[in-house]
Amino acid sequence: MIFQINYKSGKPIYLQLVDQIKAAAASGALRSGEALPSIRPLAEDLRVNRNTIAKAYSELENLGVIETSPGRGCFLKENHAALRKEVRHEMLMQEIDQAIVQAHHLQVPREEFLALVQERLEALEDRRRANDEHQEGELL
Amino acid sequence: MNVSTPAIEIQGLTYAYGSAEAVRDLSLSVKPGRCYGLFGRNGAGKTTTMKCLLNLLRPQSGSVSVFGLDPSKHEVAVKSRLAYVPDQVAFYPWMTIRETLDYLASFRERWNGTTERELLDRFGLNPQQRTGSLSKGQRTQVALISAVCPETDLLVLDEPTSGLDPIVRREFIETVIGAYQEGSPGNRTIFVSTHLITEFEGLIDEFTIVDRGHAVLTLDSDQARERYQKIRARFSQPIPDIDLSSALRVKRNGRELEVIADGAASEIEQRLRQHRPEALSTEALTLEEIFVATLKHEPDSQSLSAVSAH
Repeated sequence: MIFQINYKSGKPIYLQLVDQIKAAAASGALRSGEALPSIRPLAEDLRVNRNTIAKAYSELENLGVIETSPGRGCFLKENHAALRKEVRHEMLMQEIDQAIVQAHHLQVPREEFLALVQERLEALEDRRRANDEHQEGELL
Repeated sequence: MNVSTPAIEIQGLTYAYGSAEAVRDLSLSVKPGRCYGLFGRNGAGKTTTMKCLLNLLRPQSGSVSVFGLDPSKHEVAVKSRLAYVPDQVAFYPWMTIRETLDYLASFRERWNGTTERELLDRFGLNPQQRTGSLSKGQRTQVALISAVCPETDLLVLDEPTSGLDPIVRREFIETVIGAYQEGSPGNRTIFVSTHLITEFEGLIDEFTIVDRGHAVLTLDSDQARERYQKIRARFSQPIPDIDLSSALRVKRNGRELEVIADGAASEIEQRLRQHRPEALSTEALTLEEIFVATLKHEPDSQSLSAVSAH
């Protein structure tokens, strides 16, 4: 997978990596059991400190998204929603609240906002489906 | 060896060449395993500071220590634990690259021959070439090989990439990340001085900006990008009267306003929003932009703290 670091986002670099891997896992771009790039080549390629990549990977491990197999590297976990439902909801609520505040300031009314959420969910499902079909095509 | 002993500790360092003060009361501390940037303009005192770490100069007041040792009292012990790439690399011009590396390796307890071969290959250097006929970029590459192979706990880089072409710069940084940090990344400390900040952006964990020999800002890189934000707003009417006294810098151009915030970005954003701007955007400053914003001394008339409509 290809990562994009944006120094103007104000978000810590390791968190940018965490978010991009989570997004890739959600969309199926990264599949269960697939390996993540190893630390040295990825650090060289992005020209970031190796400790930053190590921090991102250990954060993802704590979140239950990936697992480390000694000597073999990091892999996306089979079933990676390891956190309790309440915790997962709480984490999501913070993000939703931010989007709601943003919608208020951009004067996007409630109905439009909800329609947009629907649209984005469908877009993600489309991508998942496309990735799955592609995978099946490969297996046949 | 105590785990919490800083790799580098500089306290109240002062050094003057005659009456010209190069470093004035400079203090900083580098934790082991970190990559620390010393940013400053030409003549800000970066090289003088580095030379004090290497015992090439003695502090006139204040102190420096490397892994808890005073370089002027324990020169050999300090030098065995660090490697240095200076801004001006010089070798014996009659020696070949091979002879030069063998000569430099003879001063070292350790020398990773595999890394040496890998890097000679990567840089496309011919070991039989005399160093006197190398380009500036190639001399820097040989210096980097000789700094990486001893696998020291500390790598000191003084303006390592200035005057090099973009490809050589890129390879240089990749080598520092890849080959130097290989083995035990958590224990390999890097102390780099530069004014070419952008290319080191992803590598730097923490930095100090020096100006005229004095530290003006020391921050963790992630925190810095969170703290310094650039807010742009455009209004449909002339810019209303807004209190922006908490901003670091305010620039306006007709109906447009650009505010550099130092830590109070969301508060400033809220203030701007109350006046219903047509457009409003916020982005973090890069380390280079923070460097410029910190050092740019503008006349009072331009650094308005409050902006009023005409």
